[in-house]
Amino acid sequence: MARERYMKTLFMVCASLSFLAILLIFLFIFKESLPAFTNIGISNLFSASWNPDKGQYGMIAFLVGTILTTLGGLLLGAPLGIGTAVFLDQVAPPKVANVIRRGVELLAGIPSVVIGWFGLIILVPFIASITGSAGYGIAAASVVLAVMVLPTITALSAETLRSLPIELKEASVAMGATRWQTIRKILLPAGKEGILVAVILGMGRAIGETMAVQMVVGNSSQLTFSLFQPTGTLTSNLVTNMGEAVGDFRAALFAQALVLLILAMILILTIRFITRKKEA
Amino acid sequence: MEGNGNGYKMRVNNLNMYYGDFMALDDISLDFASCCITALIGPSGCGKSTLVRCLNRMNDLIDGSRVEGEITLDDENVLGTGYDVISLRRRVGMVFQRPNPFPKSIYDNVAYGPRLVGKVEKEKLDFIVEDSLKRAALWDEVKKILDRSGQSLSGGQQQRLCIARVIAVQPEVILFDEPCSAIDPISTQKIEDLMAELKKNFTMVIVTHNMQQAARVSDYTAFMLVEEQGQPGRIVEFGDTNTMFTNPSDSRTENYITGRFG
Amino acid sequence: MDARKTDRIATVGFWAIGIVALGILAFIVIEIFIRGFMTAINPSFFAGKPEALKEGGGIGPMIVSTLYLTFLTMLIALPVSIGAAIYMSEFAHEGRFTRFIRFCLDSLGTVPSIVFALFGMTLFLFYLDWRTCLLAGAITMALLNLPVLLRSAEEALRLVPQTYREASMSLGASRWTTVKKVVLPTAWPGIITGTILPLGRIMGESAVVIFTVGVFVRSIPISPFDPAAPLAGYIWYVQSEAIVPDYRSIVNGGAAVLLILLFAINFGTRWLSKYYSKRKSLGG
Repeated sequence: MARERYMKTLFMVCASLSFLAILLIFLFIFKESLPAFTNIGISNLFSASWNPDKGQYGMIAFLVGTILTTLGGLLLGAPLGIGTAVFLDQVAPPKVANVIRRGVELLAGIPSVVIGWFGLIILVPFIASITGSAGYGIAAASVVLAVMVLPTITALSAETLRSLPIELKEASVAMGATRWQTIRKILLPAGKEGILVAVILGMGRAIGETMAVQMVVGNSSQLTFSLFQPTGTLTSNLVTNMGEAVGDFRAALFAQALVLLILAMILILTIRFITRKKEA
Repeated sequence: MEGNGNGYKMRVNNLNMYYGDFMALDDISLDFASCCITALIGPSGCGKSTLVRCLNRMNDLIDGSRVEGEITLDDENVLGTGYDVISLRRRVGMVFQRPNPFPKSIYDNVAYGPRLVGKVEKEKLDFIVEDSLKRAALWDEVKKILDRSGQSLSGGQQQRLCIARVIAVQPEVILFDEPCSAIDPISTQKIEDLMAELKKNFTMVIVTHNMQQAARVSDYTAFMLVEEQGQPGRIVEFGDTNTMFTNPSDSRTENYITGRFG
Repeated sequence: MDARKTDRIATVGFWAIGIVALGILAFIVIEIFIRGFMTAINPSFFAGKPEALKEGGGIGPMIVSTLYLTFLTMLIALPVSIGAAIYMSEFAHEGRFTRFIRFCLDSLGTVPSIVFALFGMTLFLFYLDWRTCLLAGAITMALLNLPVLLRSAEEALRLVPQTYREASMSLGASRWTTVKKVVLPTAWPGIITGTILPLGRIMGESAVVIFTVGVFVRSIPISPFDPAAPLAGYIWYVQSEAIVPDYRSIVNGGAAVLLILLFAINFGTRWLSKYYSKRKSLGG
């Protein structure tokens, strides 16, 4: 019947919009960044000096900033997230687990500007007081990122643990293993694939996180490995400068956006690779 | 009620068991003779598995479960506060209805138990693994593939692997919760033969809904029943297997055994 | 026994972790509320007009912007994602095409929101030559949330027992009729509760709105083509420009208002899903 085919096509178009969207995003970002590659050149784009007034558009400082803050955020957030997941799934009594689960859900809903503001008015002064620095920088950004990735990692890890067959735990407990032995030797190894995916998705969030990082990282273009010096990330730089940028400057920023996009795609492909069905 | 001269390894005295407000077991009293096989039979849902899971306190894992009464191992009450549950489970091992090997190698599956206590030298561990697999009648089939995953074996082999895993811990009692219900008949036969051998060293309790199996394998049998839906499980009759099957005292036992219900 | 001691230590450790996780939330919420709650509930603040240079500004138009934007986004996003979910769940066979679409959705879901923001800016402001407006933001946000919405809708559809579809089709109904008259009505409560989830995300999103909708307006936006200033973006703008003397209290108040809105949605969703599952069990 015509009606049937019409509706089916309509819905198929809806589904195909996802393809259209991702295609357009790539096309637009790529097109806008093209002048950067032609006019500015790869060696300039990937240098360590960022001085738009002098025509230097090196993004290495920001790339390093992104990498370091992401690593910092994961270093703090992943153990906490996985640990919380284990706590919720294996240790906490049901009522406590419920409260904490809701708490983590609420945490996930807090907008990044609010977390960034919190970082700005509480975390940064705190860091400043104990290190004597201005307080901005990779350390502050890492803490903020850890808070933002915590719910993601916790939720996905908890789901992984929950989906493990109960027989595994029973077999271990019936042999006289302590709870920690069962968690460490049986449950965590059995869930390692799902937990790894959780951490990688957390990594994706951290790389792409913009506002909260921008508010505490210092927004300087200085390449630094110090934890307490103002620096920048790819995302923070985009927010700070895109408003007024024109011409080559703007193209250079789009080139940074392109790098972000490519990083995101790498993560997706990594996850796909990890979770591909193993041949029996 | 005599054992085989060595007395009773475990005894259950007036056990009540509850899931929250629901009473699952009512006034269970039972003795398990040393180095003998005691079978628990009865229709589905009569509480056999629940009872057996009380013996190694696996029901502790279930929220809201509660017991009253006494269960003794070598005359010590395992339900007492302060009783070391971990060591209980090492002395009273369990083989589950569905084989549940870990996603580890065959070797690591069997070595799991011994490793829980602490570091064991490789030679000793190798010996334990080989000995346990032999006693579970699995060694010849897997001796060349100890590195392969335990989950890659067939159902019957997996169950024997689980038995080997329990043996490696050197328990005193082994509980079998319907061990053959998910296994093919040939493997079932192997496991039943195996049990006859294991009897020499272990006290065994086997839950089964297969009466013929109970008659073949066990020395003593307990028949359990739930009178009607919502009622707790109770022991109807308990005694020497031969007597139970040829001349039961309770008519309900007779009805069940002759197949009139269940 | 050594293993037992380790187990006790581990238990303490896990409790500490759980408490820390909860503590982080509590800490943030309490600090924001301490600083901003009184401002937030002051009518001259949440209903008042903003000030560009002086102190005493309010966030009235910002709240309206946020609500309006959310409404528009859902208006666009819901039909599209439900339609796509219907296709994936009811019409398509699992094969190359569906796997490809899922890959696109996964990819879409990993794209950072700032990249979405730049995409929206490029498409609407450069190519279509619009100015920053609600519609540009709504369409961008709709794309941003497409993966989440589609997954929720699909899950709700999958929960409908297969036997319903079989019964309907065996009576001679076409697939679309089955979907329209049997599957959708059954799945509807699940779809609703699942799609409320991104509401919070949309309200809290700042990167996209800064680049596509606007960061400051004096009056309440009326048409979708009007510029607007959703609260999340406005907060960021105020703290980054720091022009008005009372910017701190404005940001604190704005943050508190955002939190109040989001918590209201969170609890509302829970209540809603409880209500629907009660209706189901009573045969509603």
